[in-house]
This record gives sequence, C-alpha cells and structure tokens, in this order.
Amino acid sequence: MAVIRVERLAGGYAPGTDAITDVGFALEDGTIAAVLGPNGGGKTTLFRALLGELPVRRGAVELAARPAYVPQTDRTRHDFPISALDVVLMGAYSRTPAWRRVARADRDAAKATLERVGLADRARRHFGSLSGGQRQRVLIARALLQDSRVILLDEPLSGVDTTSAARIEELFAQLRAEGRVLLVATHDVEQARRWDRVICLHGRQIAFGAPAATLTTDVLRHTYGDELVILPGGEQAIAVEHHAH
Amino acid sequence: MLDWLLDPFSGSLMQRALLEVLVVAVACGPIGVWVLLYRQSYAAESISHAMLPGLVVASLAGASLVLGATAGVLVAAVAIALAGRDERLGGDVGVAVAISALFGLGALLALSPDVPARLGELLFGDLLGVTARDVIEAAVLAAVVTLALVLAHRRLALSAFDRAAAPSLGARPGRWELALLALLAICTVAAVRGMGNLLAVALILAPAAAALNLVSRLPVALALAAVLGALAGVLGLLASYHWHVAAGAAVALAAIALFALTLVLPRRDTFA
Amino acid sequence: MPLDAPFIQRAIVEALLLAGLAGVLGSWIVLRRFAFFTHGVGTAAFPGLVVAAPAGVAPQLTGLAAALLYAGSVEWLGRTRRVATDAATGLALVAALAIGVILASDVFESPASVDRLLFGSLIGLSDRDLWLTAGVLAAALVLDLGLRRAWLAQGFDPGTARALGVRAAIADPLLLLAIVLACVVALDAVGALLVTAVLVIPAATVRLVAPSVPTLQAGTAALAAVEGVVGLWLAYELNIGPGPAIAVLGGTVFAVVAVVTRWR
Repeated sequence: MAVIRVERLAGGYAPGTDAITDVGFALEDGTIAAVLGPNGGGKTTLFRALLGELPVRRGAVELAARPAYVPQTDRTRHDFPISALDVVLMGAYSRTPAWRRVARADRDAAKATLERVGLADRARRHFGSLSGGQRQRVLIARALLQDSRVILLDEPLSGVDTTSAARIEELFAQLRAEGRVLLVATHDVEQARRWDRVICLHGRQIAFGAPAATLTTDVLRHTYGDELVILPGGEQAIAVEHHAH
Repeated sequence: MLDWLLDPFSGSLMQRALLEVLVVAVACGPIGVWVLLYRQSYAAESISHAMLPGLVVASLAGASLVLGATAGVLVAAVAIALAGRDERLGGDVGVAVAISALFGLGALLALSPDVPARLGELLFGDLLGVTARDVIEAAVLAAVVTLALVLAHRRLALSAFDRAAAPSLGARPGRWELALLALLAICTVAAVRGMGNLLAVALILAPAAAALNLVSRLPVALALAAVLGALAGVLGLLASYHWHVAAGAAVALAAIALFALTLVLPRRDTFA
Repeated sequence: MPLDAPFIQRAIVEALLLAGLAGVLGSWIVLRRFAFFTHGVGTAAFPGLVVAAPAGVAPQLTGLAAALLYAGSVEWLGRTRRVATDAATGLALVAALAIGVILASDVFESPASVDRLLFGSLIGLSDRDLWLTAGVLAAALVLDLGLRRAWLAQGFDPGTARALGVRAAIADPLLLLAIVLACVVALDAVGALLVTAVLVIPAATVRLVAPSVPTLQAGTAALAAVEGVVGLWLAYELNIGPGPAIAVLGGTVFAVVAVVTRWR
C-alpha cells in the first residue's frame, strides 16, 4: 500500500513552461528515497508539487498524509526573535485553533522532539545564534512535531558539520523504522546509495528505483550532465555547488 | 515632582489627549513590530503620506476624519499597488511617484479653497483638540487591530519567519502579508487624528524598533512596544504642557528618543 | 499670470533651471533607484529651512546642513546594524519633521509660513537663489559628463564598474552629493515635501518611453520645463505653492503615459 504515488506528474511556475515532466514513482511505508539532480533540476519543484504549492500541475499525486517539509535552512530569518523551542512549536500550529494556546501535550512533545535531535539544552537559545547544523536539526524537530507519515527534506545535510550530520542520519534510520516515508533531496550520490530508492531528476525524471540497479554511469550522466566528475578507478563523484548554511 | 507629573492631566482636554495617545500607542506598538519583522517600513510611510487627499476632502466637507482617512488609505493602497507593479520602472520609483502625486493633490485641495483646510493639523496632528468621540473611534479601531493581531499571531509569525515552509505549517504567506498591510492601514487611520499623517509613523516604528532592540522573544517585544509607545505618549504630553511645544511632534520625538536610548545599550542579537 | 512681473519671471527662470536638473540628475535618480533617497533628503531639509530666517542665513545653507545630518544619521544607523535601512530612513525622516515642527511653532506665528517651507512659494525667489540653482545645474552637467559611464556601470554591471577603477569608487558618493545639492536648490520653489515632483516624476514619466540615457535626459528636461511652467501658472491661479501644482500635474501626465504605453 503506497504512501506516496505519483503518475505522469508535470508542472511549473507559469503556464506553458514545465519545470518538471514525466515524474512517476511509488513509495511504501518505511522508505528513504533520495532525490538527485543538479541545481535548478527540479528537486525543490517536485517538493512543491507534492505540497500542492506548484501553480501549474498536471498528473496524479496521491498522498496518504499531508507532508511535513524541511526547507533549506538558509531561507529562514535568522534575525527573528524566537528560541529553538519556539521554532519547534510551529510544528503544532496547524492543529491549534487561533484562539487557543498551544496544547500542553504539544509543548511537552516539542521538548521531547528537541531532545530527540540532541538539542534539549539549546531549547531557550535564540534560533539565529545556533550553528547551521543545529538549526537544521531544529527544523527537522519542527517537522517531527507535525507527526506526519511523509517528510520532505530539501538538502538537509549540505554544509552541516559532521556531528550534526551523523545525528541526522541516525534520526532518518529511526524514522524509517517507525514506518515513515522520507524524501531527501541531496547532492550526495554516495549517501543515496545507502538508502532504499532514488529518483533522478533533470527537468524530466531520468530514473527511479533501487540505487544499486539505478545509479549507473549513464543515468548519472543524464542527470548531472557536465557537473559529473568521474574519478579514476571507476568510482564516481559529483562536483556541484553546495548551499552554505 | 508629583505635581509636575500629575498637574497637566487635571483638565479634561489633556485627559482626552492622554487617552487618545494611549489607545493609539497600544495598537501602533505591536503593528510596528510586525512591520519591522516583515520589512515593510516603506509601506508604513507610503500609506501614511499618500492618504492626505482623503483627510483633506473629509475636513473640507465637514465629514468624519476616520471616514476620510479610510477612503484616503484605500485610494493610496490601490495607487501604490498599481504603481509598484510596473516593471519598467522598478522598485520604489513608481511608488514614489504615486505618493508624491497623491500628497501633492492633498495639499492642493487643502490650500486652494477660500477657506483652506487646517492643513497643519492634518499633517502634524491635533492631539490637544481631540473630542470624546475621536477617542472612542480610535479606541474601537485599536481594539479591532489588537484583537486581529492576537488571533493572527501564529500565522503572522510563520509567514514572516519561514516563507518557504509556512504553507506546509498552516499559513499562506501572501495572504498574511496582505492582512498585515490592511491592519497597518487601520492603525494609521486610528493614529492620524492625534498625530497627523506625517508623524503617525513615529508611533508605529520607533517603540517597536526600541522593543526589538531590548528583548529576544516575540510576544514580549509586542507587549513592550505597546508599553514604550504609551510611555512616549505620556512623556510627549508632559513636554508639550510644560514647555509649550506641539503635542504630536513631542510624542513623536519622545518615541524616537526612547529608541535612541536603546542604541546606547550593549549590542545583542538584534531583530529590528 | 502677469508675465511682466519680476517675481513671475524669476519663478519661470527657476523652473527652467530646475527642469535642467530634472533632466540631468532626475534621470539618474530614476535609473539608479534613488527616488526614496531624494524624497528623504528634501523632507529632512525642513528643520534647516525653519531656522534659516531667524538665524539670518541663506536657507540653502541650513537646508544643506540638515540634509547632510539626515544622510549621515541614516548611514550611521545602518552601520550599527541595530535597525534595517528602511526603518532607519523612516525614523530619521520623522525625527526631522518633528524637530522642524517644534522649531517652527516657536519661530513662526502663522501656519502659512510653514506651508511655504513645505510646499514652496512663487514669491520670495531672489537672484541669489537663481544663481545657486544655476551653479548646481552647471556642476551636475560637469559631473554627468565625467561620471555617466561609471554611474551606468555601477547600476547595471558592477564588474565593469570595478574595472573603471578609482572613478567608480567616488562616482556614487558624488551622485548622491549632487542629488542632495539639487534637492537643496529645489526647496524654495517646490517645498521640502515635494522635491520629487520635479526631480523624480518627469524622469519616471519619460523613462516609460525612452530607450536610452541621452533621450531620457533630454526628454525629461523638456517635460519638466513644460510641467514646471504650467505648474507655476496653476499655482498662481489657485494661490498655492508651486509644489502641489507641479506634483499633481506631473502625476496626471505620468498616469496617462503609463496607461497609454501599457495598452500599446
């Protein structure tokens, strides 16, 4: 029973020009799927399509749950007067009516979630003063508080320090064990090989499937074009621009 | 010392002025915090300047100033939206044209009749001339704004803090930016009688900028902005009474002085 | 309008000189998006104007001092990084206005005099005012001749600007200074609150149709001259300051041109 099923998805930001085409895949409970592709290749567009935020969208999208979304962290306002805990609490906003305070249960869950990402001691710190990796973990905690079966993460590990990265990957494994579906946009092909599925996007969908079978040189070349760098000895690496945190 | 503080407010004229400025400050403070967080200071000034024709027409016709202010603000909003949209000019040029033209129209309408409108009061406020009815009107508008801000608080915070993720968390940013501008317009209408359309923006921006320099939690900043605005009102009226200076201008300068004081404090993570 | 009256003749000459400034500098204000800066500088000069007469000093001087103080404050506030630029501008402007009001209520008994400072006046232009305006126009023309490439590059292609070296480094500060001077000499004609009526609106209007900088400058000067003189006539008939009349006239022309060119 697929948690996400997408068929012949296409769409973009203005009528007449599609940013993505030919997208089709299905993901079951307890799956981590990497979305690979160059900058501007459509990874974020795909996410927006899944969130229902793409202005033009054709094709079928079936979601068992409304996804939680972790955008690239450099899009948040670091000068905002909020603490890490306040940010996590935002995950409960959509289920809190405007005239009520956030429920006690949600507050406790927020603290527990911060604990889970290893930042319980930073709960009261100003969000903008945290490191890139810590901010990323807080945003993931926020998504966890939404308690959705589907989580979309846009480059959660790029530019993140190794401690934070390790914790995050550990967390992914836990979430997958809980039966959730994670879609992770990433530049890290080697990391993608360790997960369950890959979707290769370069405007159109180049491939979808298990990494071992799907990530051939040919597929990678079509996905990344000139950005592909093949190391001697048959190993491959991708040279692409990273977003700084 | 106590006399110096209390004597000015023994008469009903000053009591009304005090009520007016307190009521206006309570609404303008929090709105100002949101204006700064959304980086809409230009919008605050623009709406305020461009509404002048509405005020003048109401004044000449003897109609309610709130009515004229509302009409003025609507026309201003439409003109600014249209002018700002023109890509050929870019950014602020179209908006500057719209504001200047409307402001000039207001002045023209005010100065040309045989009995000119009291332009000085429209521009710089008539805090000492407010009637009980003016105070009640301002109070109603301030209550509407405050209530709306309380109800919209979380959605406004989401849209300002994280535009990208806001829809997935329950708030469509475009909608809430518009909502804020609408509330800003209502707040300006409330403030215009006492402060005038040129000085109202002082009560919107200065207490809020001061509050954001002092505290690091949003709800506290919102409350503190209201308190600082009220304090500026009291200080301004005291200055006006004891030193015989224009009331609205005194309140504006008091608010700005409070902000200037916060600059002296050691730097912390700042949010204005 | 009695064209043989000396005050009218001086007003017309001033309007034509200001039209020249509108053409030379107004074009750059619009191209480089300095409209709000211009408005701010004009408005901020107001407290300076208030103290000019009692101090027995030329209003251009005190206006310039006030404008420079304002520009410096905004710059300094921005440096402290405690407040965003747009908020800093708003705060500095309203402070200038409030100070001006307080000074004025101690200095002037009649509000009509304050109106003159805010919206300009047909009468009261002296020969000295005309010479000052002509001087600023001449300076602006010289600066334009020497720095126009740098001004263009800085706005659209900073890489090229850097390649131009030293010139690029001083080009923008000089442009801003020229704008400040232009505002200061425009003050007595159109008032502190409406310098944009002559320095921004005509250039914005012509920008809608002009493809190149020289055309923009020439067209703006011509349009500003017409708007200026017709505005003077309108101000005379209505017995108001020229500022509002020119602003309304300019705004109407702008709206018409904007709508017509959009529909083509």
